[in-house]
Amino acid sequence: MKKNTNNKRRRVIEQGSKVVLLLCALVSITAVIAITLYIVNQGVPFFSEVSFTEFMFSLDWSPSADIPKYGIASFILASFEVVLIAIILAIPVGLSTAIFLSEFAKGKLSKIVRNTIELLAGIPSIIYGLFGIAIVVPAVRNTFGGNGYSLLSASIILAIMILPTIINISEVSIRTVPDALRHASIAMGATKWQTIYKVVVPAAVKGIVTSIILALGRAIGETTAVLLVGGNAAVFAKYPTDMGRTLTMNIITDMSYAEGTHLSALFATAMLLFIFILLLNFIVVYISNKSKVGAGE
Amino acid sequence: MKKLFLILLVAMSSFALFAQGSSEKEQVEVKNYTFGGSSTVAPIAKSVIPEFEKKYPSVEVGYETLGSSTGIKQLIAKTLSLAGSSRDLKASELEKNCVPTTIALDGLSVGVNSSVNISNLSIGQLAAIFSGEITNWSEVGGKDMKIELIERDETSGTYGSFNEIVLESQGKEPTKNAIIAKENGEVATKIASTPGAIGYIGMAFNGIITNSGGKILSIDGVEPKAENVINKTYPISRALYVVTLGEPKDGTVEKDFIDFLLSDKGQAIVEENEFISVN
Repeated sequence: MKKNTNNKRRRVIEQGSKVVLLLCALVSITAVIAITLYIVNQGVPFFSEVSFTEFMFSLDWSPSADIPKYGIASFILASFEVVLIAIILAIPVGLSTAIFLSEFAKGKLSKIVRNTIELLAGIPSIIYGLFGIAIVVPAVRNTFGGNGYSLLSASIILAIMILPTIINISEVSIRTVPDALRHASIAMGATKWQTIYKVVVPAAVKGIVTSIILALGRAIGETTAVLLVGGNAAVFAKYPTDMGRTLTMNIITDMSYAEGTHLSALFATAMLLFIFILLLNFIVVYISNKSKVGAGE
Repeated sequence: MKKLFLILLVAMSSFALFAQGSSEKEQVEVKNYTFGGSSTVAPIAKSVIPEFEKKYPSVEVGYETLGSSTGIKQLIAKTLSLAGSSRDLKASELEKNCVPTTIALDGLSVGVNSSVNISNLSIGQLAAIFSGEITNWSEVGGKDMKIELIERDETSGTYGSFNEIVLESQGKEPTKNAIIAKENGEVATKIASTPGAIGYIGMAFNGIITNSGGKILSIDGVEPKAENVINKTYPISRALYVVTLGEPKDGTVEKDFIDFLLSDKGQAIVEENEFISVN
């Protein structure tokens, strides 16, 4: 009899904990769905007032002019430009650091490097922005002329911000390349360096690509830091050293007091940004599904 | 998967039920009032209204952003019972029995980077600079250096005021080739750290420009000080009004609203919105 109730109690606890965990999992799903619905709901009505073509392809953003214009083409281009330059700057440094940490670093030095990178990941973006104003902007101003507030300054800050993402994920994927591959390569007479760039890195390439795409997602969504150093002028930047405004900067700049069509234009901008991030995430999911059969994961 | 969706559906619809429940509060008989007019007055009105409604729970007030002229027109047509205005009333409007009450003063200071060896600009020069016609300090008597404009975001009242007082009065349009700062502090930092920079800020914030290393200019030879706004000698300034048809009568919601605006609490809200209190 006693054994029976014990069993019953255990079953209740088992089932109960399962339900609690499921509910917690549902919180995230509900949040994603709620956010999606909210942004779409706020952004879609915009297109009944302004054509999709004007929104996407016009360079003229003057929401408070007598005849308001809502073209975000220059912001889309600026976003891509900033992210592209940032990733080009960050890949060599990030990948080299990942290789160093997984293949060479030992003991105290590796611990120091690793802790520093953790710290880099934890620095709030406003601090990056202030660092940008104090160091990067004057450096760009002195090197390239202009006033220093530019897409290039934003890219440099972003490149530093996305380093931890690239390093951490790349390092893990390089580390999980089976030692058998390394030993085989060395046994064939390859040097350590040849082994790394001909065997180890190619075997870990899916993890490395994943790290780069996640870094892209982080970069394209970053707001505060780029806002402080990018100049934020609502114009088309001809050169990376010109002032510009990205999609995120556009949303946050006008959000506080915008009303009516202007406000829904900002939500439409957010919708576009959201779609970009979703696409990047789909690519990551696609790669990690494919790589289950491949080596190095 | 199906089960998951079902649970989700239940969860979401119960959220919806909650949301509805809270909005169906017991309602007292409320009277609706629509005010409207100047977009400069709008942020003041919109932050005062919730406080005002707290004090007078039986009243519901709305403020429509229409622009000063449209607001006064609709006041005369009796569509509105109170209008906000950021300009002085015209003689024709005064003839039609419009009565303005000053609720706040609006004054902007112009600050420059310490590298700019100029201490005064005329309002005409200022307009030419911010419309992008003048791009080098040598054109206004300074040294040969590019002018870097620091502007506020388009939706801020400061941007609106500056454009109306300085640029529109000279028939000019603002250039877009400017660094856009979101906050007064950001304006001050960027003026202080960018050689050749010029920017504007609510007069209440002169201190943060000088503290961070920038310089405040006099305009047409007059220093930006509250007393020079009150005696109307400083050019980048104006009074903000609410306008009623006839003197506001005791016991009306309009009179209560004006009294509330002029109370300490109302004037504190005026200052929170970066305008100068009338006291």
